[in-house]
Amino acid sequence: MADEVRVIGIPRGLLFYKYGVMWQTFFEELGFKVVLSPKTDRAVFEAGEAASVDEVCLASKVYMGHVVALLEGGECDAIFVPSYNSGDVRAGFCTKYQSLPDLVEATFHERAAKFITMRVQKANDHKSARLDFIELAHRLNASPKQALRAYKQAMRAQEAANSSRVSSQQETLRLLTKYRKVAASDPTGTEQAPLVILLVAHPYIAHDPYIAGDIVAAIEGMGATVIFADETDHATAFKRSFDFSDTLPWMINRELVGAILQTYDKIDGIVLLSAFPCGPDSMFDDAVMRNMHGVPILNLMIDAQSGSAGMETRIESFIDILRFQGKGRYLNA
Amino acid sequence: MPSLQKAKNMLESLAQPRVEDTTVQVKVSDDARTQVVYEPEEPRRAIPFPRLKKKLKRDRHKRTKVSVFRYAYYDPAFKFFVEQVLDCDYLQLPKATKRTMDLGIQNSSDYVCTPFKHMMGDWIEALELGADILVQVGGPCRLGYYGEMQEQILRDMGYEFTMLNFSHGIEQGYFGWGKEVLKMVNPDIDIPYGVKQLLATGHMLSLLDQARDFYMANGGFECERGAFRHAWEDFLDAMRAATDKAEIDSAYARSMEEMRAIPLNKPANPVRIGIIGELYTAIDENSNLGLDEKLMDMGVEVYRTLNFSNRYTHYNEANLRRTISEYAQYDMGPTSTMTLAAAKKYAQLGFDGLIHAKCAGCTPEIDCIPVLRRISEDFHIPVLYLTYDTETSDTGLMTRLEAFYDMLYMKNVSDAGGVTVRSSGSLRR
Repeated sequence: MADEVRVIGIPRGLLFYKYGVMWQTFFEELGFKVVLSPKTDRAVFEAGEAASVDEVCLASKVYMGHVVALLEGGECDAIFVPSYNSGDVRAGFCTKYQSLPDLVEATFHERAAKFITMRVQKANDHKSARLDFIELAHRLNASPKQALRAYKQAMRAQEAANSSRVSSQQETLRLLTKYRKVAASDPTGTEQAPLVILLVAHPYIAHDPYIAGDIVAAIEGMGATVIFADETDHATAFKRSFDFSDTLPWMINRELVGAILQTYDKIDGIVLLSAFPCGPDSMFDDAVMRNMHGVPILNLMIDAQSGSAGMETRIESFIDILRFQGKGRYLNA
Repeated sequence: MPSLQKAKNMLESLAQPRVEDTTVQVKVSDDARTQVVYEPEEPRRAIPFPRLKKKLKRDRHKRTKVSVFRYAYYDPAFKFFVEQVLDCDYLQLPKATKRTMDLGIQNSSDYVCTPFKHMMGDWIEALELGADILVQVGGPCRLGYYGEMQEQILRDMGYEFTMLNFSHGIEQGYFGWGKEVLKMVNPDIDIPYGVKQLLATGHMLSLLDQARDFYMANGGFECERGAFRHAWEDFLDAMRAATDKAEIDSAYARSMEEMRAIPLNKPANPVRIGIIGELYTAIDENSNLGLDEKLMDMGVEVYRTLNFSNRYTHYNEANLRRTISEYAQYDMGPTSTMTLAAAKKYAQLGFDGLIHAKCAGCTPEIDCIPVLRRISEDFHIPVLYLTYDTETSDTGLMTRLEAFYDMLYMKNVSDAGGVTVRSSGSLRR
């Protein structure tokens, strides 16, 4: 299979934002060159939309666009499309990730494209995931020793990337707490207290410049600080999420809700961001809105047609309300 | 210092007459080696922890009313499960109305998949009718979160009830579910009897599906209109009355005899349509607006591999996937393998068309569509894709089905060489 494959393309979509560093390092350690698709823009999205069934979610259309971009770029010999199983009852994934390889192959079967696919049975179980990746390396003609080393390096790289994000977020929160004290003790009252907004969204929504870039920019433009819910420590957040729900089946949503619980007392507001029509979020958003009291929440839904003006208005009013509340509402207004 | 104190105490105690001496009133010499010591009898104390009686399973208990959501023609099996396995009363829900759906829509998140809304409506009506316990199943997609979310919504609305949610205990499989049932519903279940009746429930599900398959294949060709419907209702009633496996078997045998006796007027080469799709919508008459009945009324031989027993009672995903290895390398979702395998089987059998029925927003079935398109191209078989939402109109569906049927009928007859569709524009036989 892998004789003539030298360059592997990875679409910059969906779980790339969660496991991308790992995939990239893994293939590089095995001696392949890795090409990433360009960052999402309107052209990528439109190509993806044209290749997809109407009813799929926005993130899926974007993913298809990245596959098209890689196919048309012609730089890579094969495209890596993994399948992450939804079978784990408490740490599963949306069935979208599960069906991805077959979906992509069926969509592009007319183009003579080569796909490297694999199945990750249990992403949370390191032993099981290691076997899956070693099996993939075997198919790519790597020796067992090389495969194991590549997997270890890949895991280490992913963990390093995650923990650097976690520590920078903690640093931000620590500074903000400090700054809040300074602002509170300012006798003149001119110092404005900082406003911290937790952005709760799947990583491929929150960090995609085309999907959520405008929203993050709008919040920051209002002078608030955005912290991302997927940049907290995943293992702790996952454990914490069982305080919220016993039967929530999706790992990413568990990590998000765990992050809310962990940062709850350090934030001023939550922006709950979903792509239309995200399956897990259709229920998860409702659960969060029903159960998280005490912190104001803005629930935003983005779809392909939305211009940014409507979103900006809603974000502006949300942040105005938060500032107003911070000042002590009508009593001190 | 403490040792000195001790010695002092000892000396003092020697000076005193010894306790034994005072009680027995006998002078004992100090150098006597043995003494008989008399101990006054201590008052009898109650045994602090009386020996417990072996806990008995009570066979009489407060009756609780259990309700299961409406799901196609499976309510006899649900009734059997509740009465024979859970040992509770079954609350039979009447047929769903528009109000049911409205209640469901009002109280559900906007873009959650449609079965959630149907079930919400069912729960509210069940609670209005006096249900104490609601039974929700678990599943590998969003279905796994249905129970918790619905319980939350109903509690927010102010209802009081118990929910038996099979998403709990799913990690331990049957053992976990058993514990959950004993904990939530009825601790007095006779377990060996319950297991026996649970197996009978599975058996009943298979028989219901078998009878339904026969009905769908022949219902469109009855000489006397309504005969099959009548026999089918009789069959469901007989199943509802059954209390053990023998009764289930005899009811099935009797009803099948009745159905086979119905005179048929079946052409040699009827239009055959296979229904594939999502587990709830493709089967449930209420949510697919009577899809199979509508097709039968047009005179179609209807097939549907997808049903409860094929998906759960005897299901081997890995082996089923072998038949479609050129289309799907991995398991694509809860019912995807079954959808694709059935589509390919029907195409190989030379069916005239396929209908893919799913609810709005069903991610796994939407992801099947590109693969189905490939099957459709490779085998030259038309597929009608139907997405059901709560707003789907009956007339709109009928128009699409009629158009699809007309197309298939013309192709069928022209393939058989009986009809040509030529410049005259009319059908000539």
